[in-house]
Amino acid sequence: MRKLFSILAVAGLLLAACAEDDPTVGETGGAPTGTTGETAATGPTAPATAADCAAANADAFESAGVLTVGTGNPAFPPWWQGGQVDGSEFEFNEPSLGQGYEGAVVAEVTARLGFSFPDQVTFVPLGFNKSFAPGPKDFDFVLQQISYLPERDEAVDFSESYYDVNQALVSTKGSPIAGATTIAELADATLGAPVGTTSLSVIEDVIQPSADPQVYDDLAGAVQDLKAGSIDGIVVDLPSAFFITAVQIPKGVVVGQFEAESQEYFAMAFETGSPLVECVNLALQEMKADGTLDVIHDEWLAGATNAPFLT
Amino acid sequence: MSGPPPDVYPYQPGDPRVPEGDRGSRILAPLRAEGARGVAIAIISSVVVFTAIVVVVVNSSGWPLIKESFFDPEVFAEAFPKILEKFWRNVFIFIVAELLVLVVAMIVAILRSLTGPVFFPLRVMAAAYTDLFRAIPTILVIALLGFGAPALQIKGVPDSDVFWAIVALVLVYSAYVAEVYRAGIESVHPSQVASARALGLSRRKTLRFVVLPQAVRRVIPPLLNDFIGLQKDSALIAFLGYVEGLRQAQIIQFENFDFTPYVALALIYIVITIPQARFVDWLVARDRRRRQVGAAL
Repeated sequence: MRKLFSILAVAGLLLAACAEDDPTVGETGGAPTGTTGETAATGPTAPATAADCAAANADAFESAGVLTVGTGNPAFPPWWQGGQVDGSEFEFNEPSLGQGYEGAVVAEVTARLGFSFPDQVTFVPLGFNKSFAPGPKDFDFVLQQISYLPERDEAVDFSESYYDVNQALVSTKGSPIAGATTIAELADATLGAPVGTTSLSVIEDVIQPSADPQVYDDLAGAVQDLKAGSIDGIVVDLPSAFFITAVQIPKGVVVGQFEAESQEYFAMAFETGSPLVECVNLALQEMKADGTLDVIHDEWLAGATNAPFLT
Repeated sequence: MSGPPPDVYPYQPGDPRVPEGDRGSRILAPLRAEGARGVAIAIISSVVVFTAIVVVVVNSSGWPLIKESFFDPEVFAEAFPKILEKFWRNVFIFIVAELLVLVVAMIVAILRSLTGPVFFPLRVMAAAYTDLFRAIPTILVIALLGFGAPALQIKGVPDSDVFWAIVALVLVYSAYVAEVYRAGIESVHPSQVASARALGLSRRKTLRFVVLPQAVRRVIPPLLNDFIGLQKDSALIAFLGYVEGLRQAQIIQFENFDFTPYVALALIYIVITIPQARFVDWLVARDRRRRQVGAAL
């Protein structure tokens, strides 16, 4: 009987311990909560500029006085450029150089939020999974060529578009699909795409080839199989397609791009309920209004948009 | 023959003196000895402990988030049939691989057990093979063969991911299983070989009719261990771009930014693994019963 009591006693302690946990976190989603609720309200008193918005929500940043930005490692071109820096975790390119399309966008957004780039910016290398794993995030936002999808919107909050993207098909010279001009000509092709991208949906929903698509961990695997001839083509976003054919596969050709039913776009992802979405959106709106975003586009992605449409 | 062979079992079936572990489950056996009071205590303590665990988890501050992104019923309903459909590809891969492993590993184990100076190079090769393929991580073997072999573009060499993944799994797991077989072969008492030879059996026949049957019987549980490992490692083929259960789960995960598909796949693995464990338990128990009957005669 004594044994039984000791078991009950231990269980009682466990119950008591967990009763102290505060269940307030149960009410996530919906309106911004807690301390930031009053200042972040989007009523008639909403801040007019990105800088005002950032100042009003100074508490909402991951670490005070610094913008913490997550992105993928390796930092792939043409989204990031400038090469590696000794002592940095990032491979291929160093984000804090502010080069490449996403690099330049972050540098500009940072400035408009009232921070100085790169002194007041910390870059966090992230696995793609980490950008939407549940729980508190250790970054203010992540940009990593993440396409907005309504289903994804439930797990994170998205900013407005910072790049309107089309998907494109890459093949190699001499491949039967290299000269294709219509989607119908791709019916018998074996195509590949990296997992986690909307490129795969283009293969499955738009092209609908008879062969099962190959789905890789990242672009590197897909490129390797295209080089080896195990697959006929890769579907990727258009700027990456031009990068692949220019650098990774000398024999590569951009066959064409696809017209999406609704415009696909890359957006920054935030922890659900973050008041900073509003501030970054203001910054993006300013950049679109005064033409800065076009300038960044022309500087880093010029020539990466002209490909025939496959119909 | 003088005296009983070493593994004759001293008890009749159902004998209460049979050591606990031999009467089936070691989890339940102690309860039978304790009687009704023991069973009652076990039930109460189980209810209390499991309730406490559930209460702690459900009341934790992160639970609503976890529930939403790991146990979303809508995503589960969408994911489960799609994952199951692709999981049959894993089943095909691991069944073919397992059948080949049984044969290849046996050949390696026999080569390693050969005695005599003539067989020295074979023994060295078998040992080098097991060392090498137990040392390299499975995913590397799959990546090296799966991405490397087709890139050679040699005529007649298949470039199918499934083919190379099966080759890689057979190479890696035959190395493990060869060691398991060898342990079984070496566990057969030398007197068995001596007796067989004295009866006039050749070395080959001794191996075939005396050593191997006893060795294989003893290594069935560890063999299942390796097979379960192999079944789980069949998911590594996803690395090559082939869409099987894991990759399908990942695709749905990325569409929804939700981890529920992984839970669905885990469930499938649990459901196929547990019956195998029970089957091996039954196999071992049946084998033991048969040998007991032999001893009683």
